[in-house]
Parts: sequence; C-alpha cells; structure tokens
Amino acid sequence: MRRWLTLFLMLAASPAAAQSVVTSAAPDAVAVSVFRDPERSEGGEIERDWLNGFALISETRTIDLAAGESVIRFEGVAEGMIAVSAIVTGLPGGVVQKNRDAALLSPASLLDGSLGNRVHIRRTDRATGRVREDEAIIRSGPQGAVVLQTAAGFESLRCTGLPESIVYDGVPAGLTAKPTLSVTTRSPAAQRVTVTLTYLSTGFDWASNYVARVAADGRTLDLFAWLTVANSNGESFADARLAAIAGTLNKVSDFKALADVPQAPPLRLTCFPLGTGRYGIPPPPPPPPAPAFYVDNEGDNIVVTAQRSRAPMMESAIAVSVVAELENLGDLKLYRVPIPVTVAANGQKQVALLVKDRVPFRTIYRLRSSPGDSFESMEVERVLRMENKEAARLGVPLPSGQVAVFAPRGDESLLVGEGQVRDHAVGEKVDLVIGESSQVRVDIVEGAAPKMADDDYRVTVTNANPFAVDFELGFHVDPDPKLDKRLRKLPRRDGLLTWSIRVPANDSRSFDYRFVEPD
Amino acid sequence: MRALARTCGAVVFAALLAGQPVAAQDPTAGNAQGQLSVTIYNGGQALVQDIRQIAFPTGRSRQEFPDVSAQIRPQTVSFAADGTAIVEQNFDYDLLSPNALMQKAVGETVTLLRTNVATGAETRERAKVLAVNGGVVLQIGPRIEILRDDGMPVRVIFDKIPPNLRAKPTLSITVDSQRAGSRAATLSYLTGGLGWAADYVSLYDEKAGTVDVQGWVTLTNTTGTTFDQARTLLVAGTPSGQAANSRYRPQPQGNLRRAGTETAPREQLGDYYLYPLAERTTIANAQTKQVSFLDVSGVPAQKIYEYTVGGFDTMTEPRSAASVIKFNTSAKGGGLGDALPAGTVRFYQRDLRGDPQFIGENSIGHTPMGSELGLATGEAFDVKVQSTVVKRERMSPRIWRTSMSYLLTNARAQPVTIDLVQRGLDWYWDDTRIITESQKSERLDSDGTKWRVAMPANGEVTITATFETRY
Repeated sequence: MRRWLTLFLMLAASPAAAQSVVTSAAPDAVAVSVFRDPERSEGGEIERDWLNGFALISETRTIDLAAGESVIRFEGVAEGMIAVSAIVTGLPGGVVQKNRDAALLSPASLLDGSLGNRVHIRRTDRATGRVREDEAIIRSGPQGAVVLQTAAGFESLRCTGLPESIVYDGVPAGLTAKPTLSVTTRSPAAQRVTVTLTYLSTGFDWASNYVARVAADGRTLDLFAWLTVANSNGESFADARLAAIAGTLNKVSDFKALADVPQAPPLRLTCFPLGTGRYGIPPPPPPPPAPAFYVDNEGDNIVVTAQRSRAPMMESAIAVSVVAELENLGDLKLYRVPIPVTVAANGQKQVALLVKDRVPFRTIYRLRSSPGDSFESMEVERVLRMENKEAARLGVPLPSGQVAVFAPRGDESLLVGEGQVRDHAVGEKVDLVIGESSQVRVDIVEGAAPKMADDDYRVTVTNANPFAVDFELGFHVDPDPKLDKRLRKLPRRDGLLTWSIRVPANDSRSFDYRFVEPD
Repeated sequence: MRALARTCGAVVFAALLAGQPVAAQDPTAGNAQGQLSVTIYNGGQALVQDIRQIAFPTGRSRQEFPDVSAQIRPQTVSFAADGTAIVEQNFDYDLLSPNALMQKAVGETVTLLRTNVATGAETRERAKVLAVNGGVVLQIGPRIEILRDDGMPVRVIFDKIPPNLRAKPTLSITVDSQRAGSRAATLSYLTGGLGWAADYVSLYDEKAGTVDVQGWVTLTNTTGTTFDQARTLLVAGTPSGQAANSRYRPQPQGNLRRAGTETAPREQLGDYYLYPLAERTTIANAQTKQVSFLDVSGVPAQKIYEYTVGGFDTMTEPRSAASVIKFNTSAKGGGLGDALPAGTVRFYQRDLRGDPQFIGENSIGHTPMGSELGLATGEAFDVKVQSTVVKRERMSPRIWRTSMSYLLTNARAQPVTIDLVQRGLDWYWDDTRIITESQKSERLDSDGTKWRVAMPANGEVTITATFETRY
C-alpha cells in the first residue's frame, strides 16, 4: 500500500563518476490543457500582451539511456515552464533528483566566472588596423568593471580610448543559455525508454466568446461560442491534443515568479574620471528589454473551423465541422478539441466551443433600486433571459465569457448588444445583460402627486417602443412586518422583491407604495 | 585537487604572479571549498559548515576564505582548528574597480602609454597622480595635466593593486597558531539565499475516494555561490531570526482542520523534523533542486463542498461552493502516515482518457502526523448556494429576528454533501440564537453555525432558519 523512500537511492556516492548526459531535444507527442486566468473577472477577455492563465503540458519523449547514472536534460519545453511542478514518469530507475539550472551565460557571468583566469585582451590600432592580442588575468569582479593584470602591470578595460575587448578561452562551467530542467536517474541497463514529462507553464490563457444571433421573429436565438486559446511562449506545440478547462481553481503559488527567467545582471564598465567631464564615466547602458511576454498584434489567428454559411447569417448558425467535446473533470469542465491542432508560438487559435440553435429567450427590461430612492428618466438594463435546460434547447454548462448579440436587418446582421456571462451550471436561469435602453425609462417620485404624503412613492415606467415590453423592478430591501404590504407582497426574483409588469407599446404603467426608512 | 588543472594552466603566468600581493589562497586556485555540510531551514537561511585543510605557520597569520557564500552573514562566522586561537575576524568589501584603483593611486606613480592615432606609435612616460576629483590630475615631470583631457588614447598602467582592494567581499581570520603544519579547520556561518519547501503531487481518484501523494523537497539556491558536493540536511522549521520573519511563514489558511498528536518515524531535532539527503550533492548557484521524500498511494480521501455566508445577506446571483478534499495524516486507520513539511499541494485528477489533469492547488503549513487536512482545490462549477433574507423583524428595541433561506443546487449527476456555514452571528456585543431551522445545525462558535446537507443528484435543497439577535 505504501512505501517509504529514503532520500536518495543507496548507491555508492561516486560524484559525477560515469555520469552520462542525455539531451532530449523535443517531444514526440504533446498534450496541452489550458486554464483561464484565475484572477480574471467573470466574462473578462484575454489580455493578449500579458497572458495570465496557464497550461498543463504533457509530453512523451523517447530517450536512450546508458546503464548507470545519467542526467537527462529536457530541451524544447515551454519557456514559461514551472519546473517545480514537473513530473517525470516512465524511467525504469526512477528519479534521483530534478534540477532546474538557471545560472545564465551573459557578459557579466562570463566575466565573473573567469575571475582569476587567463584571458586575452585584443586591441585594434585605429591608425594601422593592426590587431594585437595580449595575455591578461581578470582581477576584479563584475561590479564596477574590469581591472586586468597584464605583462605591463595593472590596467583597466576600455578606459584608454583604444578599441579593446576581452577574448575568453572558454565558457565557465555551469552556465546555460536558458533555464534548463534535468533529472538524474539510475538505469539498471542501457535501454530505450518512453518517458512522460508533465508540467505547468505560464504564458497561456483561454476565453469563450459567445455570438448570439437573434432570429427574425425575435423569439429564439442561435447561440454559438468560440473557444479562444492564446500562447505567448516562444515554443509551438505541433499536432497537440488540446483541451481547455473551465471553472475556478485555487492557486496559491506565484506561477510567474516560479517560471521567471532570472534577469542576467548587465555588465557595466566604469572607469576613473576621464578628462574634465567631456569623456567622463560612460552613461549606464539602457535598461534590459522587458521580458518577452508580448504577442504580435498581427499574431496568427488560425481558425480551425472553416466554411461560413452562404445563406444570410441570421437565417442559420455558423457552420462548423469541429466542435469541442465536453467532459466533467471533478468540479471543473474540460473541453477537448477532438482533432490534433497546432498551438503556435505567440499565436491565438479559435475552435467552436458549443453550438445551440433556436434557443427560446425573452427580452426583459430590468432595474434595481432601493425603495427610498427617487430619480427621473432612469435608463434600464436590457436583459436576454434563457433557461439553461434541455427542454429550453440549451442545458449545457456555459463557461463565462463575452457575448455579442446580433439581430437581422434585411439580409444583414447587426450588432445590437454586448455583455458578459458568468459560469452557468445546467438548470440555472441565464440573464444576459446586453446594454441599456433609452426607450424604456423609469421615474420614481416621492410625494409629488396631489394627495401624496412625503413617504409615498410612485414608480412610472414609460415605453417609447412600438411594441410591448416586459419590465422588472427589483427592490433592495429586507422585508420587515412594517414594510408596506404593496411591497411586502411582491414576488421574489433573484432574491429581490420584484414588481413585474408588461408595458404596452407607446404607453406607461405605474406602481405606488409607501416607504419609511427604518431607524 | 579539483583545482589542480586550473592551477597548472596558471603556471604559465608564474612570472606575472610573482609580484602579486594577494595572500594565502589565490583565486586562480579554483574552488577553495573543503568538505561542506549544509543545513537548510524553511525561512530562506542555511547553516554552512566548511572543513578546509590549511597549512598554518607558527605564530600569527592571516587566513583568507574565498568561495564562501556570497550572502554570508559575516557576524555569524565561527572558526575552529587544533592548536589555534583567533586574534580577529574581518570581512572586507572594498572592491577592486578602475575607479577604486585610481583613487588609491593618489600620490603614487603610474605609467602612461600614449598611442599616436595617425601612426600607431607608442610613447611611454611616468606620471604622478595628484588628485582624483571629477577628473584625474597628473604630474608628468614639471607639467600638470588632466588625464585624457584631449580625448586621445592613453593606457594607464598601475604597478600594483593595493592589498585591501578585492575582487569580491572577502572573509579573513587572523589566528595565532601554536605549531606549524597543515590541519583541518572548521569554518561555519549562516547565509541567506538558501531555502526549501515541499511540493506535493496529489492524484485524486474521485470514484475510489483515494489520493496518491508524492512529496518532493524543493531546494532553492540564490546565494550566488555553488556548494560543491555538500552533505545536505533539511530542517522542517524556521528558527526565529532575521530570515524567519513571520510574514514569510506560510499561513495555514484553515487548511489544518485538526492538529495531529502522533509522532512521525523521522529524525527529530527538538521540535523540528529532519530530512537528510542520503548522498552528497552539488547545489549549484541559481538552481532549484527537487528530491523525493514521500510516496504514499491509496490514502482515503473525501470530497466535500463548503460555502460560508458572511452575514445576513440577499444574493442576487447564486455563487459556487468551494470543493474541498479532506484526508488525514494519521498512521492509524487509513491515513497518510507521516508528518508533512510546509509547502504546496497540487491536485491532479484523471480525465476520461486517463490522462492526469491539474485541478487546483493549496498550501499547507508544517503538519504533524495524525492531522486532518481540508484543502480547497477550487470552486465547483455545478454546486451553488444562494441566500435570501426572507424577513427581518424588530421584536423589541434590542431584539431582532431574521429569517434566512438558502437555496442549494447541485447540477452534478452524483449526490454530494455540502457544509453550509452562516457567519456573522456575533459582531460586537450582540448574541444570536437560532429559533427555528429546517435542519439541525451544528453551532461552531458564537459567530457561526454549520449545516451538513446531503444533496441529491441533479437536485436542490432549501434550508431555512430564523435567528434572534440581542444587541
């Protein structure tokens, strides 16, 4: 049932003896599961310049192991890899240790690592073009620049006005171009193995973008959603099994900090003061460029699903051949793209997430206020209301996202509203706020009409549309027995006492109540 | 001996080095570390013990110690060698740079090597540095000049480096030795920049109701120094001190539901569990190293949903309950059977194809064996809560009655259990009683009460309660 591991396998500690280094350059197959930015507000969009979501990447790799101890270096991984989350399975000898080495090769680390070592100083004569190389020993660290010991004595680099440069004989041990993940394993025999490397990586995000097309009769809509995936890593994932995970998961560690490439300190060559100021200490070099978390705005927008319908758009939904498949993953929802796709470096990709045609809906004009408020000509929210039930031709989990609503005008389809939707489980009522109406307005007047006292209120809703509208006014109030019966008896909707009324075309309706602010 | 190769390379420079004022261990000698032992604490500090072979002369001598941690806390250094007594310890950080070299050369004579830009011809002369104040004022024979005032190329060659200018901050100890000879000297010190935490990989099996837990210790070295072949010991604890400021301590966040009373079969030092690495290992600079310390499978685990209503509020939209995985760390009766050092627990669950997928993470503090853990992995898409204030009634000037209704919905195809907690029952001096409730709740404390509600698959449950508050 359970086994204890001693921290290292008990083999003779012969440091680095007979240790072979195997480099795994690229995966054979890869699966990418993308998670939304957990901090993003519901219905928020992908921030393409600064992707705050992440992905779980699972790669299979073929590795030829020698017998005995080997170090496997993994290359071609996402640059946003969170090394502490890496899991390596399939090694016959298990994992002795995992290392992420991030001492990077840079001008400053080259100088620092060569301290006390022999280098060459190359000087070019501007007059003759003659190049001379002299031997030197580096005597100072990278802070405050370079003092060299040469055959002549002690000198500084680049304070002379001569073109001069240090030429190194080699790269100090332990410096790498990029942070590198390696694992140490002890294989009982030389063999070819298939290992799985699974890790979390920053630099991904996804969102759902809904397009609702209202039918000509205004009673149903075709709901379509894009699954939009973005990758700001420099690596592309070819023919990947792609999935997106909806829902909110808990995150406690700072993924960006864990994946960060440490900034190589810039090497600043400083000198003693030169001249009377004209040739003083050279200005510090410009700050290093910001980390490469940008996405080209022209980044490839690859649309897997093709053929648009030729019929007028509002007549039928967008035709798609591939729709993501939904499965439950614990308390999350997993959308799987059923065909292998390429997640390109610095790119964004869209696949159909869901398609639901002819979903019945109602348009509601909605306002929420406190019973003690009064105002004039208040605009009200336009809400599309659907039931997320199979009987109402919906009945699927709706992950949060942006919604654009289009309505027909002859053969065209025009944008009539935009909004956000939160995560909706099956069975919930979906209220989609798509904007405000200036045709339907509300007055609440306190004690204005004749015979009305100070605490008497009158709500008047006016409809300037040539069609009847359904209006709801929800009151934020805790009902106590002293509350006016006219309010107290109102039915509840979304937890609020709500006055619902149908206002005929080009007409108005009103509602009176009395309200005393409780002490 | 590792340094031998590099030393040989430097022999070419023997002539150059002859006039070198640098004492004792020369940087060209490579890594001067001896037998290293590193003890790492959670708070980002470590105790380093370095046993070096030093040839002491009789009497007073100054010993330099290169290749100590670049983040050494020099005031914590202690030194011991047979037959020696410490005279003084110094930590010098007057760093060598062209500017420092020139400043220290005031009053000294240097060589100027001028290059003719037209012909490339070199001329050499000696100059005395008079002052370095915003420019270098030189005396060349009878003339006074400012260095490179004309912008023409001039090489300044110094005869020597002053002995107190160093490439790196240097620790030195002056000792009195009773006898000459090479022997082991033990140097120990505290350093920042070396820390560790645990990372757990937990594979949750919802059907079986189990969790497989793998534990890894994660060591992080940001000292700027590589520790070569060090015997390494990890201490699960943060002795109070500079680096152990309480704000760095991982907060338990209510994840420890019940503290255990069992002792794990691990080596202990006082109150701390010790995790020794079985082999010497090299902890490279800028390295994150992970070594497995725990692998347990099939630990019974339950999933439960939790939601806390903060006060008597009406919610206009339902909100998701937290999904929480609970298991215990007891050695008895189907627990994990170990103490867990503080760290991050990442949960995975297999999808329909059998591939593990990430489902959320949480952190734990140092957890004694026998504890009960409840770790929220995220919010449930399908399990939601909506509370409504049905009635709020003033019974007397000091007594209020509040009727609450909680609609709990479950869109999952399985029945689930939810812990619904109403908080805010005890604000200041008030006191709240439950008059009626549709299901018996468990009063947690004066401020909160909890209903454990079994919810049917694809169904909903409404809980109602009336509270009476006296102010």
